[in-house]
Amino acid sequence: MATFHLKVLTAERCFFEGDVDRLIVRTTEGDVGILPRHINYVAALSIGGMTISQNGTSRLAAVSGGFVEVSPTGTTVLARTCEWADEIDVSRARAAEERAKQLLEHKESAQQQDIAEMRLKKALNRIRIAEK
Amino acid sequence: MASGNMKDIKRRIKSVQSTMQITKAMELVASSKLRRAKERVMQSRPYFNAIYDTITRISAQSRENSVYGRHPVVKNSLFIVIAGDRGLAGGFNSNILKLAQAQMEGKNVKVLTIGKKSQEFFAKRGFSSIGDYPGLAESLRIAETHKIVDQFLELYRKQEIDEIFLCYTEFVSPLTQEAHCIQLLPSDFKKSDAETGKKPAATEYDPSPEAVFESIIPEYLYGVLYGAVVESYASEQSARRMAMESASDNASEMIEDLNLSYNRARQAAITQEITEIVAGSGEVGS
Repeated sequence: MATFHLKVLTAERCFFEGDVDRLIVRTTEGDVGILPRHINYVAALSIGGMTISQNGTSRLAAVSGGFVEVSPTGTTVLARTCEWADEIDVSRARAAEERAKQLLEHKESAQQQDIAEMRLKKALNRIRIAEK
Repeated sequence: MASGNMKDIKRRIKSVQSTMQITKAMELVASSKLRRAKERVMQSRPYFNAIYDTITRISAQSRENSVYGRHPVVKNSLFIVIAGDRGLAGGFNSNILKLAQAQMEGKNVKVLTIGKKSQEFFAKRGFSSIGDYPGLAESLRIAETHKIVDQFLELYRKQEIDEIFLCYTEFVSPLTQEAHCIQLLPSDFKKSDAETGKKPAATEYDPSPEAVFESIIPEYLYGVLYGAVVESYASEQSARRMAMESASDNASEMIEDLNLSYNRARQAAITQEITEIVAGSGEVGS
């Protein structure tokens, strides 16, 4: 089966590198699946999951923003943060969820609301991915 | 007389020795910190290179009308200056601060400082600062760059600042560090594009090149700022290691010299004593 080269990078480390069968990422427009010989493609990512299929097994990771680029030389995911599902600290994510909810109830400035909403989304995403 | 001289030399040897102990310890600390810092630099470079490639490619295809585009008049410039938190790092701090100051000439400047030395330097000279972040570099996480970048991007969007420069020190090798000042916004990707622009491959942007560009710019700046802080920190450590190494070398050289003159003084004292004894005994014997 055809494969393509995938690199997943964050500013802090090289998260994943290897030849894969399929990649699914959540862009701002929705989930996008990338197979070998995809057209050149660039999209911004939103908070969501990322599935990497390699040799018939697939692994799930939580991503919070960044972007994906497909070029003839390979596919690159530049993620803001990225964790494998089994790396996620669920209790920490739950605590973050609680904190964000409390912040939302306080009804502070619009900017504070935005930040709290983002945090809540990230926490819920982590919990969702970890429990899949 | 001679014994007084000997005591003086002894005291100086002691003081040089204790200084050497300190410089030696600082050298060891810096080199262990350098090892970790170097690792971080190596891990952040692939991300940075990839994001830079992408952004140059995209900026070739999107038009100039983004909120991150050029402002018609340049009134205020923001300088982000990254220096160390501590001194005793050779020319590290003064190099970057001097470069920053030279670049600021003739501009209406606001600063954003990272590192205590940078904060102190600009506060003393009465610059208006939009934010100070001392003590950040050692254990910087990418998430911490978000609030800094968001802060100055907000000002840029509101047209309160019209240019953004970043002054940092590039970690070339453990022996060389180079101070750089680069322009972050408005971005001049176009120029580098003309050099590399071979064939603009057809690329699909989801939803549109403009939207993608707009969301990539902040990502790019997070990456750049993170990379710059990490590079500067590694440079600081290696500059300090080098400075302390040469200080230790100088100290051991000095100790050698002092030991020599101490022995000379001791020898002179003994010779004198013998001469005195011989002269005395000659008088008694005759």
